[in-house]
Amino acid sequence: MAFRAAVLRHIRLPVQTLKPTASRAPSQWSLLRLFSSHDDHLTKEEVIDRVLDVVKSFPKVDPSKVTPDVHFQKDLGLDSLDNVEIVMALEEEFKLEIPDKEADKIDSCNLAIEYIYNHPMAG
Amino acid sequence: MAASGVAAPTRTEVLQLYRSLLRVARQFCDYNIREYSKRRTIAAFRDNKNLTDPSQLSAAFSDGNAQLEVAKRQALVYSLYAPKVKSIMDIKPS
Repeated sequence: MAFRAAVLRHIRLPVQTLKPTASRAPSQWSLLRLFSSHDDHLTKEEVIDRVLDVVKSFPKVDPSKVTPDVHFQKDLGLDSLDNVEIVMALEEEFKLEIPDKEADKIDSCNLAIEYIYNHPMAG
Repeated sequence: MAASGVAAPTRTEVLQLYRSLLRVARQFCDYNIREYSKRRTIAAFRDNKNLTDPSQLSAAFSDGNAQLEVAKRQALVYSLYAPKVKSIMDIKPS
């Protein structure tokens, strides 16, 4: 038991000595911001443009009716199957995986733009 | 002949099956089978859109689920023997 305690004391010691240096390190790393995607997050206009392009290129949609606040089923005359297809097309465009529960709620351009803009992984 | 106890699928379940089939179709590495799967699910779901008879609905739904299982297995098998050269349709113009 004593041997184990002695060994543990030796092993634990390095962790304690690192603490003072660790307090300095974050300030250097926070300037570097590795893996931060804040700078290349999509702008709202880009999201709107690409979402509208995807909706306009859907074969059953009349491109002249597509505006950023158009409702898929009420304004564009699509049905729920088309809704699923449009959400899938948006997933492919922005390289996202939208879970079923969220995808069911997206039934207008507004909601699609909001969801994609707020998604951290939108590309 | 079949038991009449199988309930018709709900709207949510049907849409979930639709989405799962389209997702699995996306996983195929071969362009042709991928496009075929998408076309086939869209066509099949549209054809059956106006069914109202519960036994027909549950038959179509279980058929869809069986096809989903087939597609999942096949997507895996196709990926084991993926062609080294991509189809021309998959190559984006640079």
